[in-house]
Amino acid sequence: MVRLLDLGIEKLNNMILDMAELSTKAVTTAIQAYTEGKDVRKEIFEWSEKLRFIQDEVSELAVELIARYQPVASDLRFIKSSMEITYGLSRFGRYAYDITTVLSMFGDLSKCDHSTIIKMADKVKVMICKSIEAFIKRDVELARTLSNMDDEVDNMYKEYVKRIIENKESNLRCSVSATLILRYLERIADHANSIGDKVIYIITGESVPRK
Amino acid sequence: MDKIEAKDLNAWYDGNHVVKNVSLRIKSNQITAVIGPSGCGKSTLIRCFNRMHELIPGAKVSGKVLLDGEDIYDDSVDPVDIRRKIGMVFQKPNPFPTMSIFDNVAIGLKLNGVKDKKKIREMVERSLKMVALWDQVKDRLNDSGASLSGGQQQRLCIARALAVEPEVLLLDEPCSALDPNATSKIEELIVKLKENYTIVIVTHNMQQAARISDFTAFMYLGELIEYGETSRIFKQPEKELTEKYITGRFG
Ligand SMILES: Nc1ncnc2c1ncn2[C@@H]1O[C@H](COP(=O)(O)OP(=O)(O)O)[C@@H](O)[C@H]1O
Ligand SMILES: [Mg+2]
Repeated sequence: MVRLLDLGIEKLNNMILDMAELSTKAVTTAIQAYTEGKDVRKEIFEWSEKLRFIQDEVSELAVELIARYQPVASDLRFIKSSMEITYGLSRFGRYAYDITTVLSMFGDLSKCDHSTIIKMADKVKVMICKSIEAFIKRDVELARTLSNMDDEVDNMYKEYVKRIIENKESNLRCSVSATLILRYLERIADHANSIGDKVIYIITGESVPRK
Repeated sequence: MDKIEAKDLNAWYDGNHVVKNVSLRIKSNQITAVIGPSGCGKSTLIRCFNRMHELIPGAKVSGKVLLDGEDIYDDSVDPVDIRRKIGMVFQKPNPFPTMSIFDNVAIGLKLNGVKDKKKIREMVERSLKMVALWDQVKDRLNDSGASLSGGQQQRLCIARALAVEPEVLLLDEPCSALDPNATSKIEELIVKLKENYTIVIVTHNMQQAARISDFTAFMYLGELIEYGETSRIFKQPEKELTEKYITGRFG
């Protein structure tokens, strides 16, 4: 027997999957364009707006489902989390856009060493994929792996900032632009981590304490 | 503090085992809701709490029910006394139709041997005030109880239960015959009453349990499956069966 509420929950689920796909694409494209010196601001801005739009639709539907069906237990946890997860996904889009604006602020950065950025971006992309996979498969164990990765990203960011403070990065333009990008990546990792926390909450009801 | 404690409580109808090894503690001045599919033993369970179950021919009870620590099934206990301390209100408002509004409330007092007319008047007024019915009926106390609306009749029945100054109120689906508006009024009344009474309410309406109760007991096929704070039960039930029932994925 399909419950009326199930139709709404399935719709929410599909919107989350749409956002997951688009937000992953936004981050990947923004990073790629950055390292290649390509301007993709317009495209990413549109995607980011679209993500925000779907996020608003998710909130609307979630509130409607609560009003209509008074969901409880795992239904309620899913609906609450759908709002939080889509917030995270729309932030992926927003930070992807922020990454694209760095190029226009700083101009040509092709002489800069992008190795730290590429290393961190690879890790962050893995985190995005894992958070989404954990959601799709409702995989608590996978979701739990995100916390350590988030710590690693935080440390990479802190180490890079330390190097700048200690004047180990000589080129100011390169180091300031890289710091911004790393900061955006670090924020994305944070949101991927909290998506993982929501997956854990949906399944177990356990709220993971914030860091 | 625990007001009622059931220990390994079992109940039968002619050998049909319908309440199975139920143990739970009902907290003082709290509202405890009993939920579960129809026929799972909710009404039978609460009727064991005031020794009403044994009035049915062929019915049997085993185990203990403690009221303030004293076993109500002890040989020395008078069941009439227990039923005064633990009042009950039923699903269908059941005012005695040939009786006036006044007598409908006074009946319990009279049956309990109260003869003082002034005292009876006082108690009737007090009870009708507690259920917020006094202002509506004070000028027509001699009208028949049946002349009231469904919601008013149910409040009249609660007033009747309150008139004998019980400590616990057992409510068996008190709103199931009422419209939403009358239902919310009764719910507000129940929440107000917990200041002075311990309340156990059987309801088939889960949202009602979620709205008004502090604790929820979920029963299935005569067993107590899960019992705990309402806020937890509805957000994070521990048992799969509870989850299935409250999310409507049952059967
Ligand atoms: N007076 C009775 N005589 C015989 N069987 C009864 C009587 N009342 C209830 N039962 C049976 O006991 C079981 C539990 O009933 P009840 O306590 O009324 O359940 P609920 O209140 O959860 O709907 C059911 O199977 C019901 O048919
Ligand atoms: Mg019943």
